[in-house]
Amino acid sequence: MSSETKTQEEEAREKLIGLAEEFYDQFAEGDVPTMSIPTRTKSNIEYDEDMNVWVYGDRKSTRSAKTVSGAEKLLKATYAIDFLAQQLEEDRSSTLRELYYLSESWDLEEAQFNSQDESNDLIEDLEIVSDVTREDFHMRPEESGATIMGPLKLREQTRRGEREIHCQKDVGEGGYQIPNNPDTIEFLENDADFVLCVETGGMRDRLVENGFDEEYNVIVVHLKGQPARATRRITKRLHDELDLPVTVFTDGDPWSYRIYGSVAYGSIKSAHLSEHLATPEAQFIGIRPADIVEYDLPTDPLSDSDINALESELEDPRFQTEFWKEQIELQLDIGKKAEQQALASRGLDFVTETYLPERLTEMGIIE
Amino acid sequence: MTSFQSQLGDGEGIAEELAQSQRAISIAEFFEKNKHMLGFDSGARALVTAVKEAVDNALDACEEAGILPDIYVEIQEAGDYYRLIVEDNGPGITKQQLPKIFGKLLYGSRFHAREQNRGQQGIGISAAVLYSQLTSGKPAKITSRPKGQAEAQYFELIVDTDTNEPEISVDETTAWERPHGTRIELEMEANMRARSSLREYIQDTAVVNPHARIEFMEPGLEESLKFERVEGADLPAETEEIRPHPHGVELGTLLKMLEATDSYSISGFMQGEFTRVGQKTADSVIANFNDRHFGRGMAWSPPASHEDADIAAAVEDAVANKGATATAAFADAVTDAIEDRGRVAHHDIVAIVDEAADEAEADHDKTFGSAVRENAVEAAWAAVTAERTSDLYELVDAATTVRKDDAAVEGLASRLAEKFADPADADDDERRHRLTREQFREYVDRAADMTEEQDEVTFGETARENIVDELWEVAGRVPDDPPKVTDVAGDRDTASELLTAMRETDIIAPPTDCLAPITDELVESGLRKEYDADFYAASTRDAAVHGGDPFIVEAGIAYGGDLPAEGSVEVRRFANRVPLVYQRGACATTDVVKSINWRNYNLDQPGGSGIPNGPAVIMVHVASTNVPFTSESKDAIANVPEMEDEIELAIREAARELKSYLNKRQSMQQRREKQDKLATILPEMAEKLTEVTESEELNIDDSLARIMNNVLVEREVEDGTVRLVVENNDDTNAELDVTDIVSVEPADTNGAQVVEMDGEWFVKWSPTVAAGEKAVLEYSVDDEAEFTVSVDGIEDEKLTVDA
Repeated sequence: MSSETKTQEEEAREKLIGLAEEFYDQFAEGDVPTMSIPTRTKSNIEYDEDMNVWVYGDRKSTRSAKTVSGAEKLLKATYAIDFLAQQLEEDRSSTLRELYYLSESWDLEEAQFNSQDESNDLIEDLEIVSDVTREDFHMRPEESGATIMGPLKLREQTRRGEREIHCQKDVGEGGYQIPNNPDTIEFLENDADFVLCVETGGMRDRLVENGFDEEYNVIVVHLKGQPARATRRITKRLHDELDLPVTVFTDGDPWSYRIYGSVAYGSIKSAHLSEHLATPEAQFIGIRPADIVEYDLPTDPLSDSDINALESELEDPRFQTEFWKEQIELQLDIGKKAEQQALASRGLDFVTETYLPERLTEMGIIE
Repeated sequence: MTSFQSQLGDGEGIAEELAQSQRAISIAEFFEKNKHMLGFDSGARALVTAVKEAVDNALDACEEAGILPDIYVEIQEAGDYYRLIVEDNGPGITKQQLPKIFGKLLYGSRFHAREQNRGQQGIGISAAVLYSQLTSGKPAKITSRPKGQAEAQYFELIVDTDTNEPEISVDETTAWERPHGTRIELEMEANMRARSSLREYIQDTAVVNPHARIEFMEPGLEESLKFERVEGADLPAETEEIRPHPHGVELGTLLKMLEATDSYSISGFMQGEFTRVGQKTADSVIANFNDRHFGRGMAWSPPASHEDADIAAAVEDAVANKGATATAAFADAVTDAIEDRGRVAHHDIVAIVDEAADEAEADHDKTFGSAVRENAVEAAWAAVTAERTSDLYELVDAATTVRKDDAAVEGLASRLAEKFADPADADDDERRHRLTREQFREYVDRAADMTEEQDEVTFGETARENIVDELWEVAGRVPDDPPKVTDVAGDRDTASELLTAMRETDIIAPPTDCLAPITDELVESGLRKEYDADFYAASTRDAAVHGGDPFIVEAGIAYGGDLPAEGSVEVRRFANRVPLVYQRGACATTDVVKSINWRNYNLDQPGGSGIPNGPAVIMVHVASTNVPFTSESKDAIANVPEMEDEIELAIREAARELKSYLNKRQSMQQRREKQDKLATILPEMAEKLTEVTESEELNIDDSLARIMNNVLVEREVEDGTVRLVVENNDDTNAELDVTDIVSVEPADTNGAQVVEMDGEWFVKWSPTVAAGEKAVLEYSVDDEAEFTVSVDGIEDEKLTVDA
């Protein structure tokens, strides 16, 4: 590892310990220890005009030792800081899941995490207050299994040395698996015209089987549902560093629009990292509610939770555009949703031969 | 009241009545027939009843003599029988009193008295004496030592079952260790199956008689149970016997009182025999009584000038041989007086004529004898009543609010007019238009029915009643004297009219100083003494009245501690300081407890009704001059609404205290839990922080005080200036006493109270600190001083002292 990263680790460690010192001082002053972090709800995100992404607003919520639950959170934070500081000192890393299980070994029951969500949230809290990303804490998520397939050659810095990989020629049909920290990747060369992010595995496989990536020189990024940070980070880098247009292809339902939203605008839970992760230029291909009508796709009726989600999106600041308002209102109107695979009702090749070329031309991605 | 109860109030009591009706049979047979009502229907119950009677008797004897009772109760096995011994430290009894108290069966005089006493509860100790004699054949053995006498007297007493006369068979002096008192020993057929009831009875008696000391011994006990007196508990306030209240008597009682009274007039009777009746009230009762007894005299307007009837002419015609001047003057005087009145009844005319005649006699030296006067009255009455329809039209019209058809009103008025007899015919009352209210109604009904039939209009119930009211108002009260007491006493119907009149007269409630409540304070000490609980509450209501009897309800609650947490709450019932043992389910007290939503008071109540669950005792005491029992066995209070309301209010009053105690306990519990939790978490956090930051160890007490919403007392000492800082982190005001004990003399103490004791100075300061505020006491000391601070008025859970 280079000496530069060492400094980064030291900085991360210092920032964590700085946090602990704040608590220490609060106790020493006889005050009530508190930790204040931005409220992580959709009502507290605002558009950053410089970055073109959504970030947290001014509203803060306070974890205070005045309540038992607040005190427990601070206790857990203290234990987590201790653990992370030690991990950084020893230059080791662990997964979020490991942290959760590891807490079981802490002798104080109150410090142990009750669920992995709790430990995940706490790491995010620490990211926000210390202004250090969890990658720099050496915390990684479990491999999300998201992949890349396309005309791109890259070099990955693995723990076992450098690897140069071509994401079409050097990989099987499964594609190149995106590592947890994509910043260890260096793009070497590419022959791509644009990036196509696909929500579902079935559709990704269909595109690969039909040779869509080869035919249109496209880097197919498999999002695997709600994309992991690494997936979003690499997508942003593909856009920023290789100057490739990014398109997103999902199911036609409210949950999939949120997948697009987190690729393009940043997610609510990690809005503090939006500038690293969001690709505001990403364009939505479909399935649009308009497609459901236009292509007469087989549909399912909207469930109550679908309708609630759509209505909540109408109030979501990220979706306050003409396009989304129109589409969401249309969908509420027709009361239907469709999956990507619904396109197969018009034949297996319909998506690669008709739908995508038509949509991409319409969007000006291909000519 | 139940019908049984109503007989109770009637005279010397059910017992005597029973005895009277059964004179033909022997007393033994009588007892046998009625023993279920007397509480001797089983061996188990007989023992409880005998103990109850003897203890009540003993307590009463002591209290009457102004002696704090010290009662000893013992039950011994005696061959096939049980021996009951009850001793008191009362005044003792003389040989003359002996038969009256212990022997004369069923001649209690107490049922008649309006006084709060225990005796109401039972049939008397004599029943126990008779029961023991009938079952074991043994005499009652009584030892008595009046105060100041060197020796005690020992008697054996047998009741002659044929004559119901007690006989003293043994009378000798004996030695007895008590300086004064009475001891009774009875042997009887019994069993100890009701052992728990018996003990409960004794314990309960101790609860409601905190001024008494009771000792109890029974077979199988190694040592007697002692129920000590509440320290400082005085004798209950002496109760006064009060005369009955007019609203509280029944017809039978009234008849008996009428027979027994020395009064000649009803007014004297009312004032002499009843409480709260003075001249004015007696007059009101009599007015109401007269209305019922005599009715009222219908009053008519004198004829208007256009009418044919001419009073003056008629009166002149009726007077003969008095000379023209005198006759004319008399007739004019009568006419003027009648016309002045606007409306006159027959008796008004009688008075007017009498007055005019007396005047005429005086002025003209003529005699107006009774015949002349009568003639004049009748002539005037005939003239006044000649035209009735227009009078009645006015009245009917005024009474019918819904505008009735003129013709209908006219029709009714004229038909009604016909109902009143013309002066010439009919009997005396009818002729004088003297009617009871019922008769008025009858007239109106008949006239209205006919009008309805012929004119096809309706006069409904309300309209008719309004018309009667209007007529009744216009009619005058008759001046007749009410019947004499003897006449009323001799006629049930008249007596009933008097009773009704008494009831419809507003009379202030009976006095309540005849009641001696235990008082909430002593109820609480009583509970405290007999139940080892965490919390006690008691309430005493103001006196209230049902029927003519005042009553006071008291309630007490004990909660927690050693009381069993499993199962239902215990409900303890008392009447006039006597525990009610049997028939719990039939008692109004139980009904009220069941009807309260105890969940509101933080007690568990499955299904939201019924007896609540939990470690609690609820006691209710009803004190009254006449406790309404459901039956003669006097085990359950009847469901009298006024009493139920008061019972409920008394219980709720005590329950509210329980609730705030439980709330507070719960919030203290939560606070403790929170503190326990934080007290583990925060030091661990501090330790971890010390470790992570590699710093010195932390003292987190101040942080903890702030976190726990605590009141924090801190000391700052600088250059001989001591500052005690009280910081209130709670959300309510804190009132506390801070006492700083200083080893040298302090100066500039800023209004704090300073007391020196044995070379130490106590600096006492009592600040009130608002929520979130601080208060500072500053003073100075010269030298090196040592301090010890103590803080009062704040619960330990809420206090942090760092000084």
